[in-house]
Amino acid sequence: MSSVEPAVEGDAGAPGAADAQGVALGYEPLAGRGERRVWIPLGGSRSVGAMSESQRDRLVGAVLDVRPEPGTRLVLLGVDVDGLRPAGRAALRDRIAFLPADGGLLSNLNAWENIVLPVGFHHPGRLPGVAAQVKGMLESLGTDPRDLLAKLPERMTPYEKKLTGYVRIALDNPDLVLDEEVEAGLDSAERAAAARLPAAYLERCPGGTFVQLQVARER
Amino acid sequence: MIGVYREFEGFMRLAGYVLRRLPVLARPPVSESLTRQIYFTGASATAGIVLRGAFIGTFIIAYVIDVLEANAALAVKILIWVVLREVGPLIAAVLVIQRSGTAITTELALMQISGEVESLRQMRIDPRDYLVVPRVVGVALSTAALTFYVQVIAVGGGMLLSSLTIDASLGELTGEFFALASPVDFVYAVIKSLLFGAAIALVCCYYGLHPPGTSINAVPKAAINGVTQSTLLVLLLNVVFAYLVFGQAFFGLVTAKL
Repeated sequence: MSSVEPAVEGDAGAPGAADAQGVALGYEPLAGRGERRVWIPLGGSRSVGAMSESQRDRLVGAVLDVRPEPGTRLVLLGVDVDGLRPAGRAALRDRIAFLPADGGLLSNLNAWENIVLPVGFHHPGRLPGVAAQVKGMLESLGTDPRDLLAKLPERMTPYEKKLTGYVRIALDNPDLVLDEEVEAGLDSAERAAAARLPAAYLERCPGGTFVQLQVARER
Repeated sequence: MIGVYREFEGFMRLAGYVLRRLPVLARPPVSESLTRQIYFTGASATAGIVLRGAFIGTFIIAYVIDVLEANAALAVKILIWVVLREVGPLIAAVLVIQRSGTAITTELALMQISGEVESLRQMRIDPRDYLVVPRVVGVALSTAALTFYVQVIAVGGGMLLSSLTIDASLGELTGEFFALASPVDFVYAVIKSLLFGAAIALVCCYYGLHPPGTSINAVPKAAINGVTQSTLLVLLLNVVFAYLVFGQAFFGLVTAKL
């Protein structure tokens, strides 16, 4: 099991305009906004600590749109995305997944339907092999598929929602996962279970990068 | 006025998108969503809608026959003109608006407010592909099916009731019906009800995906907008259709010069 390492943040040690090669996620915000610079190398599990909610939202929005805000720089999976054509953006987007704090589930679908929704939509030909993969992933994470898969989100615990969201994105084998506060809303036992998600992802996608975005709560 | 134009433009854009993206129905999650929509709008609503539709249709026939003291030929003509062409599709449309239109607008507005629509985008699924296309197609097909049920039961009930109240047998009325009814009446009703259903779903999806706010209060407002605007659109389509196909609107008060 790999441990979560902190990302390079702030000005200290950041490569600035260095080459994008070997960078999983690079984000240089507008000067004067007081936001953190994020510079995460490819591979492994990293944590970006204490971002403001607004910066987190801007970062996630830019990553999922594969488009930096004006005046900012965004590097994804070794590519400086500013000069990319639409086809290049789409191809890059296919390699990135976002795991929201609540799993990002649709409330009128049960866990199984939520899990297979993107696979069924984008790669229907892969559906026949999905059941075995889902079963294997859930069992390796200590969850009985029979307990979880028929549940609607309203009947799930926060961890089950998170787990369902994780299995959904893991099926796509993304090269970069942005994880929004993996421990938010979980009790201690669920926190321990959730802490295994980055390692499970890296076991499934050995060259991938799992980035946890921690938000500093405003007091 | 600008708001009305923008909304109309929004409906048209959404309609264009649905027409362009019909092949997406072949993808498993979308086809499942289509099946669910047909079940909720067309199948699970059948008993209630058919009963209410048949009651209203039979009531209209009985009332008209009683007031006009109609004979068999006139009673059948009224059945064809009123129930087959106009009341059948309209009753089905109004009942679909009441039942499915409100459900669609409310569900989509809640999904928009709770971030579920955004979750679809994060999965690289265009919400219109998964939420709008199957609903529009499902409601259109279901409205056509419900119209057929209402027509059969209302016409059948009307003829049965007429045979009891006027001096004509059921066989005589049935013979008159098949002599006077033309395939145009059925094609007209089917096309019109398909359009009604598609228009209802489009308008309700549009207001569901564009709730007037981000709080829970926006949900009933979106539902009200969806129901009122889809009702208006159905009535407008009915007038336009009657004018284009039969050269008359408002029961003959406005007549086309061909």
